[in-house]
Amino acid sequence: MDENASARLIRRTLTVGHRVGLFLAMLVICLPGIWIVLSSLRPTVEIMAKPPVWIPQQLSFDAYVAMFSGIGKGGIPVLDYFRNSLIISVTSTVIAVAIGMAGGYAFARYRFRGKSGMFLGLMLTRTVPGIAMSLPLFFVCARLGIIDTHFGMILAYVALNIPFTIWLIDGFFRQVPKDLAEAAQIDGCTRWQAFWQVEFPLARPGIASAAIFAFLTCWNEFALASQLTRSVNSKTLPVGLLDYTAEFTIDWRGMCALAVVMIIPALTLTYIVQKHLVGGLTSGAVKG
Amino acid sequence: MKGFKPSAPILLLLPAFVVLAAVVLVPLLLSLYSSFTPFRLTRPETFFVLIGFRNYISILSNPDFWWAFGRTVLLLTIALNLEMLLGLGLAMLVEKATRGQRILRTLMMFPMMFSPILVGFQFKFMFNDNIGLVNNALQSLGITQDAIPWLIESHLAFTAITIAEVWSSTSIFAILILAGLLAMPKEPIEAARVDGCTPWQTFRYVTWPFVMPFAYIAMTIRSLDVARAYDIVKIMTDGGPAGRTELLWTLVGRTAYSDARMGLANAMAYFSILLSIAFTVYFYNKLAAARAQIGAEW
Repeated sequence: MDENASARLIRRTLTVGHRVGLFLAMLVICLPGIWIVLSSLRPTVEIMAKPPVWIPQQLSFDAYVAMFSGIGKGGIPVLDYFRNSLIISVTSTVIAVAIGMAGGYAFARYRFRGKSGMFLGLMLTRTVPGIAMSLPLFFVCARLGIIDTHFGMILAYVALNIPFTIWLIDGFFRQVPKDLAEAAQIDGCTRWQAFWQVEFPLARPGIASAAIFAFLTCWNEFALASQLTRSVNSKTLPVGLLDYTAEFTIDWRGMCALAVVMIIPALTLTYIVQKHLVGGLTSGAVKG
Repeated sequence: MKGFKPSAPILLLLPAFVVLAAVVLVPLLLSLYSSFTPFRLTRPETFFVLIGFRNYISILSNPDFWWAFGRTVLLLTIALNLEMLLGLGLAMLVEKATRGQRILRTLMMFPMMFSPILVGFQFKFMFNDNIGLVNNALQSLGITQDAIPWLIESHLAFTAITIAEVWSSTSIFAILILAGLLAMPKEPIEAARVDGCTPWQTFRYVTWPFVMPFAYIAMTIRSLDVARAYDIVKIMTDGGPAGRTELLWTLVGRTAYSDARMGLANAMAYFSILLSIAFTVYFYNKLAAARAQIGAEW
């Protein structure tokens, strides 16, 4: 075998190996999700079957119908949970982004004493584990009588999101050249106008991503929500998942169906946000 | 106060500080105080009794606490290292792909969309000894006849939790390292190849230093919410069997809400907070160092 042929063979083997590796990796990543979707569509008998039924014999939307038909018909108050989740997530996202824009702009555009220390300090408030945070917060909320209300949850989630929102938005404002706003000011804009006319439109895609990220954090949060919510007044979807568990049994099919309902908005939003998200996380942190 | 004018950045940061002070700082101070009391939720009057460091002494002399602490550190060490390695591998696989980059990148981010509690349920379902996907597959393939008690035997349960944790967080590393690989200039690699570096040397001395800051960003972000593992463990095993997968966070939750011993739980919570802060500060410093290192070259 001459040298050319063997080099070609090695290259082809490497390409095939790469394809196979990529395929296997993607399979491992996607399999759990596919399995959940599949399980939500097949009857409980098939899920429980022994030996296992790999190919579903019949697909049905019974689990979804049961879930949305309300209490008493084998369902849980999903619509209430969904509404709570939506109200709490959207409101706290809007507030967190507004505060985050102010903070991010301050970090990106001004020099002041103790700046990096302050930045790290902000980050550290985010490291407090949800469960450790929930103890004192539970106590304070109980005292103020805002436990099991939307207000209490929104307040907690705003605080949860501010540090990360500031990090992201800081990164996006750094990407906007300083000169542009300065040019606008020389042309007669006030700083306020320069911000809204020049810098904000340029940073808008990034800020939208920060918003989506904040929304997802609220949408998925469990440790705080499980302690600060009590009833259909404020329970969110992640806490609602627990409704499908009884002491010794779990309604897997119903749970899978609810999981799919939870994942679809998250999936759509993450798809929209993916490109900007990485840009924002890395630009501020790498280029300093 | 005439003539006092706060500077613009302070004014801009004020709302953030106010909210964080109200929701994070004040409750934390309160919990610091209550960690010095024998406070029980069921008996409010105990909130005003000071007992000094007795809570701290009792947790420090409690072997269960130290087991949970050690287990938490072990889980984080294993999980973070695995996530880093797998993330790096995944990022390099995807970067090499010639077609379908966009779809691959989206698929890669798939686990990031799962709420940790969902990850917990999903893996509890898959690792179920009777009807779980994993056991079904192993039995159908004839690898084993018996149902492997994934979530019931203590070492297997720990393994299962680690797998769930790694599955859910590898994509954060992968996506950020991929960003690093894509942002990297191509000339140094070509120069290294022309100079006769082996692929391994090229990777070790050219690619890796460039990608490192991105890996540390991922580490910093991950260390911001290492406590995600709480949700996963809470659902998958709830600390069982017999406390063998109990982590610091599940122990705090159990002491506080099941035993209603808030004072004791707050003392433990402070340890978990210190642990998280230590992780974050460590990686933040590493990030700064890595940034300074490539700063000159960029």
